[in-house]
Amino acid sequence: MAKTIMIVDDSASIRQVVGIALKGAGYDVIEACDGRDALSKLTGQKINLIITDVNMPNMDGITFVQEAKKLAAYKFTPMMMLTTEAADDKKQAGKAAGAKAWLTKPFQAPTLLDAVSKLVLP
Amino acid sequence: MAIEVKQQKNGVIHLAIQDEMTIYSVLEQKQELLKYLKTAKEVQIDLADVTEIDGAGLQLLMFLKQEALAAGIKLSLSQHSKAVVEVFELLHLSNHFGDPIVISADWRTS
Amino acid sequence: MSELDAALTVFSQEAEELLTDMEDALLLLETNPDDSETINSLFRAMHTIKGSSGLFGFNCIVAFTHEAESVLDLVRNGERVIDAELISVLLDSKDHTAKLVEHCLTQPDTPIPAELSAVSERLIKQLTGRQETAIQQAAEKSSVESEGGGDISTDDNWLISLDFHYDAFRDGMDPLSFIRYLKTLGEVKEILTLAPDMPTGDDMDPENCYLHIKIAFQSDATKQTIEAVFEFAAEDCDIKILPPNSKIEEYLRLLDQQADTHVQRLGDMLINVGALTKNDVDHALQHQHADSLTEIEVPAKPLGEILVEQHVVQQPLVDQALKKQEQTKQKLASEANYIRVDAAKLGHLINLVGELVISSAAMNLIVERHALTDAGDVAASMNALVNSIRDTALELRMVQIGETFSRFRRMVRDVGKELNKDIELYISGGETELDKTVVEKINDPLTHLIRNALDHGIESAEQRLAAGKPAQGTVQLNAYHESGHIVIQIADDGAGLDSERILAKAIANGLVKADHDLTQQEIYNLIFAAGLSTKDQATNLSGRGVGMDVVKKNIEALRGSVEIDSVTGEGTTITISLPLTLAIIDGFMVGTGQDRYIIPLSMVDECVEMNPEECEIDEIQHYINLRGQVLPYLRLGDYFSNQIIDSNNKRESLVVVKFGQVKAGFVVDHLHGEHQTVIKPLGKVFDNLKGITGATVLGDGNVALILDVQGLINSAIKYQSSSFHRQIKTNLSGERK
Repeated sequence: MAKTIMIVDDSASIRQVVGIALKGAGYDVIEACDGRDALSKLTGQKINLIITDVNMPNMDGITFVQEAKKLAAYKFTPMMMLTTEAADDKKQAGKAAGAKAWLTKPFQAPTLLDAVSKLVLP
Repeated sequence: MAIEVKQQKNGVIHLAIQDEMTIYSVLEQKQELLKYLKTAKEVQIDLADVTEIDGAGLQLLMFLKQEALAAGIKLSLSQHSKAVVEVFELLHLSNHFGDPIVISADWRTS
Repeated sequence: MSELDAALTVFSQEAEELLTDMEDALLLLETNPDDSETINSLFRAMHTIKGSSGLFGFNCIVAFTHEAESVLDLVRNGERVIDAELISVLLDSKDHTAKLVEHCLTQPDTPIPAELSAVSERLIKQLTGRQETAIQQAAEKSSVESEGGGDISTDDNWLISLDFHYDAFRDGMDPLSFIRYLKTLGEVKEILTLAPDMPTGDDMDPENCYLHIKIAFQSDATKQTIEAVFEFAAEDCDIKILPPNSKIEEYLRLLDQQADTHVQRLGDMLINVGALTKNDVDHALQHQHADSLTEIEVPAKPLGEILVEQHVVQQPLVDQALKKQEQTKQKLASEANYIRVDAAKLGHLINLVGELVISSAAMNLIVERHALTDAGDVAASMNALVNSIRDTALELRMVQIGETFSRFRRMVRDVGKELNKDIELYISGGETELDKTVVEKINDPLTHLIRNALDHGIESAEQRLAAGKPAQGTVQLNAYHESGHIVIQIADDGAGLDSERILAKAIANGLVKADHDLTQQEIYNLIFAAGLSTKDQATNLSGRGVGMDVVKKNIEALRGSVEIDSVTGEGTTITISLPLTLAIIDGFMVGTGQDRYIIPLSMVDECVEMNPEECEIDEIQHYINLRGQVLPYLRLGDYFSNQIIDSNNKRESLVVVKFGQVKAGFVVDHLHGEHQTVIKPLGKVFDNLKGITGATVLGDGNVALILDVQGLINSAIKYQSSSFHRQIKTNLSGERK
């Protein structure tokens, strides 16, 4: 049974690249373009990992993580935050919200797969 | 119901867990299973339908074993699903539980 | 004889010796099969012959000895039992190896004869034939051990210990995921899953993680890489990774190769060789720090001891690192090369550097004014050079204060004898550096203060015993750096200052009025006023009433300050704060009208534009309300030119300065920014000028005055309190301005 990963990012190109990399490695992928969109797509299906950007329109990544952690079906789902090198405070805020894993932007596909596979192998 | 009672006779109870054993399910499963453990003399648990098991599920099995030992109840696991065997092998735990594990031939090919 | 021939001779001798040793070892094993050292020597024999044969390209020897080596490796690791049968096969193998060596040496160019290769094959079969069953046996044995919670073998394995915290599952961390990932880096040899703290019955919360996992892991990965596997679990797990014993030798070798050009800290050395990661050291340091907070009496544990206790590194590594550190220290000490330089020459150099800084500023100004973009880059890189020349030149004059401190040992001993007091001097922070010119000038004030402590501070032995204190008194000398200053503390554990007596004396001398409203702190500071000595009978050492005022003056001449604090019955602490250097400072330039002033950058707290939202100015009571913080202030323009400028039409800025704990605001017209300031002392004529400590020449040739921040803060406070009193009086008399 393939593992499912949700990628939340307002950049269509990042969603696409991440999507291709993850699908290529054997994961199922759900895409969402911001926190609000992502929440509406959390409908009870099984998700093994949520990867989210921080800065997004409508609902930012930290709020999204907090909201997702309130949902019974996702409260224990591992969350990975995409941060930039400079924003260490964002990383800390993300950790406090419940996203214990992080990946520093910009990243390349192998780095992403490496980080993801520490949490969920395909 | 996630846990089915297949047979109950003379204090020997035969259960089947028919669900994943993950952090999302262990709370309910623990309460349920602990109840049987308090009343029975011998418990057999069929794991054939445990499609998925994570660290929390594994911990629950270890807990049951510990409880059974303390209460002098015979606990045996059987029909380990592929997911359970994978985790037991990962942690070299087969001996810990001490139950014979039957590995189906078709797992290897899948 | 060619070099190759010579090498072959060595090889032949070596092989012969090793094979003889091997035979002896095998015969020994017949009577004593469990001797690990003998087994090791067997392994080494095959291993070495294989290695050197490879060098000469004797592939038939490599192929054969490789099999023998593998079998012996299993034996060495306890995975295969050595019995009479195996010993006889190994003896045959030994003879066979000798034959192979002989063949390769005598007829290197002919292929190996068929009969020899047939023997090779037969022996290999015999050697490896039983391997299958042997491995099975060994596997069973090891799992029985791990079942019983026994030790996991550490020789070639990393030992990874993961103690998960209760919240791990809730945070989405599944221990199993990390182990699955770990398996991509190497081989999990053994693994123990325990739940030592798991409660029983209803108390067990299945959503808590109680798992503790111990893993013996075989991998060539670095410690860094292995640690990175558990990176995301760092908050949810105590992770300890102990390198394999077989790695120790490599680390020891690397430790030995560490450059000994400078002394490194223990943690850094172990990180450099890869035995520790930065996280390991950070954790240990935190642990050390926490310990020193809870147990004040006990000196902090050495870092190495903590690291070994936490099972992140082996004792021999720590020992070796410490040894290396000590060696480096000694080597550096013995190699230390000093050149004696005439202090005047050094002074001249520093003056020149000062001029260089000024001309460089002048050049920048011109480059900027004419917008010479291509010259800008050159100027910028020259600026950087000038800055580092400045720092290096100033560093040349930096000396440790320790030498000055230790001179007082003798004095304390002699004076103690004379006064019939038993006094011990404790020195700390002797490695703190400051400008030689400052050191020279601080000697006299320090002598005076220490004499005072000995004479007035420490009581006689009888008095001390009566007060419940140890008969031996202590004086502590301490130095440290703090925000661009050096702080020197002289603390005694004597009787403390008697504020009543200071006050009585001050009133008698007319220094203060009887109806004073001084704080305790202000009373203590009265002893720095001229003509005040609290000791009724002056001794020949100190207390003639000339002293403390001179001390204060000397320190202030160095742009420093002195403060006194005392607790009755417990002692007195005098704190001296001095600038690190007297020649060049990093300044912050501000302006009012046409005038420009320099504030030492280390004293600038913040700069704000004066807008009503952030700060309100109360002209009548003379304070500024900055985001709820009340500050005394000075308008620099008013203060120095004494002309009232209409401030309403201008945009003003506020520079908040601090000295020690005290803050004040300076209101200025312009903020010019940071400025490297070469201090030119002012002549005697300006001695009476308040608020100025020196001047500097700017790049455009103008002069800027360097502000005496401490003096100005005091003036600002005075203004505030006097206007406050004035205000009260006005209110009382019902008058309004």
